[in-house]
Amino acid sequence: MFAVTGKRKQSGARSLRALLLVGVLTLLSACGASSLVVEGSYPTPAVRKIPLALGLYLDEDLRNFLYIEYTETGAEEYRVSSGQTHVQMFSTLLPAMFERVQVLESMDDAAGAGVDAVFAPSIEEFQLALPQKTRLDSYEVWVKYNMRLLGPDGAYIADWVLTSYGKTPMEGLLSVEGGINEATVSALRDLASNFTLSFGAVPEVRDWLASRQNVVSNQ
Amino acid sequence: MSTSNFVRQGFPIWLLAVLLTGCTTTTVDEFRQGETGIESHEAIVILGRRQGSTYETREEFVNCVGERVSRGSGAIRVIPEKEFVDSLFPWFEPRTAPLRTSDLQTLMEEQVVADKIEEYGVRYIVWVDGQTETTNRTGSISCAVGPGGGGCFGFGSWEDDSNFDARVWDVSSFANVGTISTDATGQSYVPAVVVPIPLIARVEANACSSLATQLQQFVNGD
Repeated sequence: MFAVTGKRKQSGARSLRALLLVGVLTLLSACGASSLVVEGSYPTPAVRKIPLALGLYLDEDLRNFLYIEYTETGAEEYRVSSGQTHVQMFSTLLPAMFERVQVLESMDDAAGAGVDAVFAPSIEEFQLALPQKTRLDSYEVWVKYNMRLLGPDGAYIADWVLTSYGKTPMEGLLSVEGGINEATVSALRDLASNFTLSFGAVPEVRDWLASRQNVVSNQ
Repeated sequence: MSTSNFVRQGFPIWLLAVLLTGCTTTTVDEFRQGETGIESHEAIVILGRRQGSTYETREEFVNCVGERVSRGSGAIRVIPEKEFVDSLFPWFEPRTAPLRTSDLQTLMEEQVVADKIEEYGVRYIVWVDGQTETTNRTGSISCAVGPGGGGCFGFGSWEDDSNFDARVWDVSSFANVGTISTDATGQSYVPAVVVPIPLIARVEANACSSLATQLQQFVNGD
């Protein structure tokens, strides 16, 4: 009789502990930051290819780019990883713009890759505007990039700043994460279109392209 | 369904649907600047203007107009907006899309663009620009739940105003051949006595339907 009562007490205590654990975990998950890996697809540009070979070097910082949005009290609210979607966007964009694109693991590989130049972009600033903070009815993302074009030996060719902007209306979205994802993809699409059409208009790039074409036509 | 069956089963549903719909007034204006007409092998593409900082033409509205233009007796082949914009990336993005017919002419000098547009058989590009605004929100509804049940009490109303323009560009002549404007307004009500009964005015749906009907006739040259 006593043994049975003891087992019941043990079982009750276990249930209570499990319930407490679930409660604590629920409270902790409510307090923690929400993580999001941005996913999207990007169209291939319909442009004339530049008849040159380009090395593409995306450094660790860009490949693992993480933006953290904080609450007004300074606690982490959203952790937005957009590194991989940047890799995907540049990998779709550049092969449509250049005759050949060689992905480089390090800048040291450029010299032996047989490329005319190396493109090495970096993210300088990432801003996120959430409707619950701005009181507007859309999610907005603004990104500032530093675009660098280097010779295979690492010599400077061009260095310019590009900004991109994307927004998506709150309407029809089921979650904040969905809104952040859509706005980020929209900003990257804006970058892709702006980069494609403005690349040849950057003065240093224009001069370099002209000099390369002279070299090609003289060969 | 026979007449007696309709009276017994269909009529109450129809009556309920009519009663649950608020009133909408729609005005359509057409301004023609050139001759139009379309061959069976040709198509149109309907694109939303998204250059404004305060609003963007909703994709759903553009799709609604396209879907209605492509059906009925005067059906016209419509290239889906997303397919066209993706295929011609980056030329029709919010930042890069042509704003004037002269910009389109310049754009068509790009062989890649000209080839794609010819491949689709696009004869007209229709630019839809506009939005639906909600104003004059009044009233309030309070709901409560107790051990014996729950319910709502109160009254709410608002006004929706849809304003959309459709500019039609002839790709063969790089000319703006006309503009169709639609303005739909409607008042929606939600009276609540225990259960809220929404009487919603289908303002944007009516704007879409009117614009699509007029656009279809305009492009066909009727």
